[in-house]
Amino acid sequence: MRIVTANRLSDGRVIYLGEDDRPVESVAEAAVFEAAEAETAQARAAARPEVFVNPYLVEVTGHAFSGRDRLKESIRAAGPTVGNSLSTDTGAAV
Amino acid sequence: MYRYDEFDAALVRERVEEFRDQVERRVSGALTEDEFKPLRLMNGVYLQLHAYMLRVAVPYGVMNGPQMRRLAYIARTYDKGYGHFTTRTNIQFNWPALSDLPAILEDLAEVEMHAIQTSGNCIRNVTTDVFAGATDDEIEDPRPWCEILRQWSTIHPEFSFLPRKFKVAVIGAEKDRAAIRTHDVGLRIVRGADGETAFQVFVGGGQGRLPHLGQEIATAVPGSEILAYLTAILRAYNLLGRRDNIHKARIKILVASLGIEAFREEVERQFATLRQEDLRIPDAEMDRIRAYFAPPTFADLPKTSGAFDRAVLADADFARFSRNNIRRHRQAGYASVVISLKPVDGVPGDITAAQMETVADLAERFSFDEVRAAYEQNLVLPHVRLDDTPALWRALREAGLATANADLVTDIIACPGLDYCSLANARSIPVAQDLSRRLADLAWQEKVGPVRINMSGCINACGHHHVGHIGVLGVDRKGEEYYQITVGGSPDEQAALGEIVGRSLPADEVAPAIQRALDRYLVIRTEGERFIDTVRRVGADPFRQAIYETLDAAA
Ligand code: HEM
Ligand code: SF4
Repeated sequence: MRIVTANRLSDGRVIYLGEDDRPVESVAEAAVFEAAEAETAQARAAARPEVFVNPYLVEVTGHAFSGRDRLKESIRAAGPTVGNSLSTDTGAAV
Repeated sequence: MYRYDEFDAALVRERVEEFRDQVERRVSGALTEDEFKPLRLMNGVYLQLHAYMLRVAVPYGVMNGPQMRRLAYIARTYDKGYGHFTTRTNIQFNWPALSDLPAILEDLAEVEMHAIQTSGNCIRNVTTDVFAGATDDEIEDPRPWCEILRQWSTIHPEFSFLPRKFKVAVIGAEKDRAAIRTHDVGLRIVRGADGETAFQVFVGGGQGRLPHLGQEIATAVPGSEILAYLTAILRAYNLLGRRDNIHKARIKILVASLGIEAFREEVERQFATLRQEDLRIPDAEMDRIRAYFAPPTFADLPKTSGAFDRAVLADADFARFSRNNIRRHRQAGYASVVISLKPVDGVPGDITAAQMETVADLAERFSFDEVRAAYEQNLVLPHVRLDDTPALWRALREAGLATANADLVTDIIACPGLDYCSLANARSIPVAQDLSRRLADLAWQEKVGPVRINMSGCINACGHHHVGHIGVLGVDRKGEEYYQITVGGSPDEQAALGEIVGRSLPADEVAPAIQRALDRYLVIRTEGERFIDTVRRVGADPFRQAIYETLDAAA
């Protein structure tokens, strides 16, 4: 099983191809494809370069990452595993 | 410091407008990503795991207060309130939106900064000794030469599409604080036969997958001919360097495969044809540039300072800070102060917007409006009166910037690794944090003395792990993070590549293993011997044993 992921053109944030080919931000909302459909789904994302930058396929079991890149994809999904270092308050939204 | 002339200012502004147009065309769909990518990279814009990343050039690591304040403004306005200083003395922003990038570049241009040639197969930002112009062991300040190289290399038509990126470092002292032999070209100022400025030239250094140390190609190229000589090197590389295999494209591979003798002959041949007047640096131009780097007007001060001495006696924390982070200066009564960006549990090189503003204020107040970015991912205030160091230290402490660990084991160099970088195999930051917590005791760190730990999240070696006294490299083993440890690397005038000690370790074993290696060192060192000296004397074996001992016992 696979999902399509990419970075969003406007801000680079991680997105997925959701139902009806909508871009969604959470893995939970990603549409899951069987092998044969997955590649055409990726191609549909690639055909919308104003939204999806560098779309590619990722292996999942249900909505959990399962392939070799599961660590990388979990970090992409959840953000950096470290704070931004900073013991002091920056006054900015993090 | 160097001020833009009208040509510099016009060039940077034109580039901002050009990029604004390119971004608009990408957003409107007129440019595809494949067309846009090389254009954004020419402006230092990468696409990383979670967002765009902007790499801003800090030429030879030198900034002033207004520039630092502008970086803080950018961090706060367009990013998440912080920035990341790198081993190439640049600063990176991890979260800007594409549509904000032209505005950011415009903000930078207003304070004479940019992101040109911070990416791509061109001559990258020239780096140098963070104490340039401030140390007492210098033959000559290397920064004017760095500025000459910058002007020569910026958008150089012949050298904008080299086989691969090209990094140059310049030092003016015997002691190498810029790791010149890990660069494609390393230059060291020497005195020529008639006492004139000349350069010892190293070529073919580089890390990554196939690490090499630069080899000496020339002992004393006269300063006035250095641009011709560099042109000869780059021309040879441009013509002969491999373009068919990205992993073999760096000049280090060319030099290693031809051999230094044959490469030198090729360069000499090019040099002979280039030696004419047009690449000669005119004395007047050199003087003009040197004037920008003239020493500030130092006060006539005694060598020692009562205020400093009293503060050392009165406060053990200040005494520790002075031992570790305050460095000798060429001018009596002055010192250079290292601002560590490695607090316990911190991300090496990260600094908040508020902290940048504090540093800007302190540079203006105490250091002739000058601040430097160090290769170690720290900052330096280069010209502080000894009398002022206690007040400076108090202000740094209030800002969380007074960690007294410069050059000690927790002064860890680390790349962003898999927390940010799309090329990574493993995370580096959490391993650095783990070490910094485990080894936090400063009294113990001082007992251990200077040790450089370097970490990279993949073989590209952005964290310089090959030349760490202890190097840590993230590797991927079937989707799991593992770490390979090297011992005995060194980035300085006795440059060496570290030796791999054995099989790689899981993340939670790295810090305990390094601690065991350091404990072993405390047992086997002789009086006054630094960690790296002990490794050189006894080899890697005792450390290998220490690193694996409990692991093997458990297995
Ligand atoms: C966006 C993140 C980054 C990317 C995509 C990136 C990419 C790379 C690549 C591909 C190489 C290997 C070059 C080669 O062997 O030809 C490399 C080397 C290097 N990078 Fe990075 N890097 C990134 C961030 C950084 C950071 C944060 C630092 C400093 C902390 C850094 C400093 C270096 C250094 C010092 C080298 C070694 C240069 C050498 O080969 O001698 N880079 N980088
Ligand atoms: S060493 Fe690898 S993981 Fe670290 S920043 Fe460089 S490319 Fe990324």
